[in-house]
Amino acid sequence: MGTVSIRLTPLGKELKVKKGTSLIDVLHEYGVEFPCGGKGSCGKCAVKLLQGEIVCDTIHLNAIRKLGLGSDWRLACLSNAEEDLVLEVGQFEAMIQADETPFEYVPAQGYGVAVDLGTTSLVAQLVELNTAKVLAVETGLNPQRKHGSDLISRLEHALSHGSAGLERMIRNELGKMLSKLLRGRHIDPDKVLLVGNTAMQHLFSGLDIKPLSYYPFESPRLEAREFSAKDLEWDIKCNHIRFCPSIGSFVGSDILAGIFATGMWKKEAYSVLVDLGTNGEIVVGNRERLLCASTAAGPAFEGSRISSGMLATTGAISSVEGKADGITCKVIGNTPARGICGSGLIDAVAVLLDRGKLGEFGEILSGEDHVILQGEVGLIQKDIQEFQLAKAAIAAGLFILLRKLGIKNEDVADIYIAGAFGTYINLTNMLRTGMMDFPMEGFHKLGNSALMGAKMLLFTDSSTEENILSVCQHVNLESEADFQDIFVEQLSFNQSSS
Amino acid sequence: MNALLTKLGEAVEAGKVDKNSPFPPQLKGEDGADELASQALTEGVAPNDILTEALVPAMDRVGQKFSENKIFVPQMLMSAKAMGAAMTHLKPFFQSGDVQTKGTFIIGTVKGDLHDIGKNLVAMMVEGGGWTIIDLGVDVNEDTFNQAISDNPGAVVGLSALLTTTMANMEEIVGKIKGVHPETKILVGGAPLNDDFRSKIGADFYSPDPRGAVEYLKELVA
Repeated sequence: MGTVSIRLTPLGKELKVKKGTSLIDVLHEYGVEFPCGGKGSCGKCAVKLLQGEIVCDTIHLNAIRKLGLGSDWRLACLSNAEEDLVLEVGQFEAMIQADETPFEYVPAQGYGVAVDLGTTSLVAQLVELNTAKVLAVETGLNPQRKHGSDLISRLEHALSHGSAGLERMIRNELGKMLSKLLRGRHIDPDKVLLVGNTAMQHLFSGLDIKPLSYYPFESPRLEAREFSAKDLEWDIKCNHIRFCPSIGSFVGSDILAGIFATGMWKKEAYSVLVDLGTNGEIVVGNRERLLCASTAAGPAFEGSRISSGMLATTGAISSVEGKADGITCKVIGNTPARGICGSGLIDAVAVLLDRGKLGEFGEILSGEDHVILQGEVGLIQKDIQEFQLAKAAIAAGLFILLRKLGIKNEDVADIYIAGAFGTYINLTNMLRTGMMDFPMEGFHKLGNSALMGAKMLLFTDSSTEENILSVCQHVNLESEADFQDIFVEQLSFNQSSS
Repeated sequence: MNALLTKLGEAVEAGKVDKNSPFPPQLKGEDGADELASQALTEGVAPNDILTEALVPAMDRVGQKFSENKIFVPQMLMSAKAMGAAMTHLKPFFQSGDVQTKGTFIIGTVKGDLHDIGKNLVAMMVEGGGWTIIDLGVDVNEDTFNQAISDNPGAVVGLSALLTTTMANMEEIVGKIKGVHPETKILVGGAPLNDDFRSKIGADFYSPDPRGAVEYLKELVA
């Protein structure tokens, strides 16, 4: 009997299994849960078939139809691996947030749609403009991910294969999401606002991405883009579809929306906004001037560069606590640990530092090449180093922006942590690692500030965007002469005070 | 071996720059690479011996520990800084010809790319391996490389790229260098590279860490 391979995206895992193996036996390890016990009734184990074929019997076909899934979906509990497969493990969607925090607004007529077009995830909210009520939410994953999970590999794909394919992919996917969002409601939205990073804006709008790919990294096409549903070949009626303007080549309208959501552009006191997503954007300033930059911090927090790194799904160590008798870990789903996610990584590093297990340079002091956290899951020396690179990127970015404004850490009144991952981090531990250095009481966890800002922007006209943009200034951190020195300095940890 | 040279080697390996430097804490107040190199010269140790018996083996040990993930960028930079402090005492002897370097190594980050940490680490390690370094900086185009090679016949070239998008520029530069100086050996490095890419673009050597570059250069002149 031969073996077949199963590749799981976006986890990036490749498994070799015996031909004919039931997916229920294999996928449980990777965060796919089977609440109905494999009867095909709950749909929680649905996976998207990207390559290869899983032949369905009548029961399977009926189950898929009943759950309203598309023809490319399969229920893992009813599937066997008969050939090489590529599967999208959609359970990741649980992480995607749809925010409903209340805000001030001027009621208007009609309906609007706010879309957060992320590098990884997509969220669309249908909003009633008279009440600011969110009537429906649709989430999805950016289909461009199969051409790279980070921006640079996405841009590289566009450079070598042209960007038309990526453009079509994202337009189609969002078109489908919006149709679903409006289905059965007899509503034609008056406007659709999209926010996203600059690369997403370029790829969606069909703009040349070359200027984003090479030094000096300056695109001439940062302005807002207007479309009609017809332009985009969307199956809805709307003539005012707008991709909001980007701030700079690496800081997009998602951050513009975040700035709007925090109100930091109207305050006299200084604020900091840090988005701990794939790109790690930072904004520092007040109503006079907002300095914006991006850092390469994401990969470590999203698990992709960590040996046992994983997304925040079943089996991930999500938090770590130091106790008198050792280290205790909280594992999502209360199962044995099989990996660690971003929030767990920050905790682990902080706890290991406090317990004197790591030195000033992140070296594992026991002399061994790894530290065990729970069961088989631990961190190797290289994982600690990846974390150091990520935290130093944020810390150095903050240092440079504060210095450029001529202000000190204690001059900052409010620190906003955006991004889904930011919601789950333990601030005390994050501060312990030296990633940021602000008093605890100044922190606010925002969740998806891009979506929230986009929703709020539905109630304004474009002059608001212009007002925010007029105080924003894009900073290229790496062109600062002493960036390297500052970055290297921030790679180290403060020694334990105890 | 001279006890001073052993101490100097240890100071470089530990990243002890001079007497006043606070790092590493366990060597607080002791002489660093700066003082030790100066003392060795005063005692009449040949400058070439200081280089080949203390500095080169020390940086070799540092490179070894780095490639095994036992030390990280900050420690390596401290060692490189300590080596640099010792080197300033040797510089006059390089110029007078009393110390022979193994050759000239021209290094730069390719055009379109501003990353310089990896490039600097390689430059420091290669310098620690006994080579003269010409660092062209970041965002360097093919003409600048070719000019530097013409000015330094027989030099070996190192190209760095940290972005997958600028790897294409690396390919172009390798082609342009080989077009003008077909005999010039070209080393390539950077996080997104691998040996397949190296062979595809016609460069001569790839290493995932600085130590590999030092080893290759050692072989080249052996």
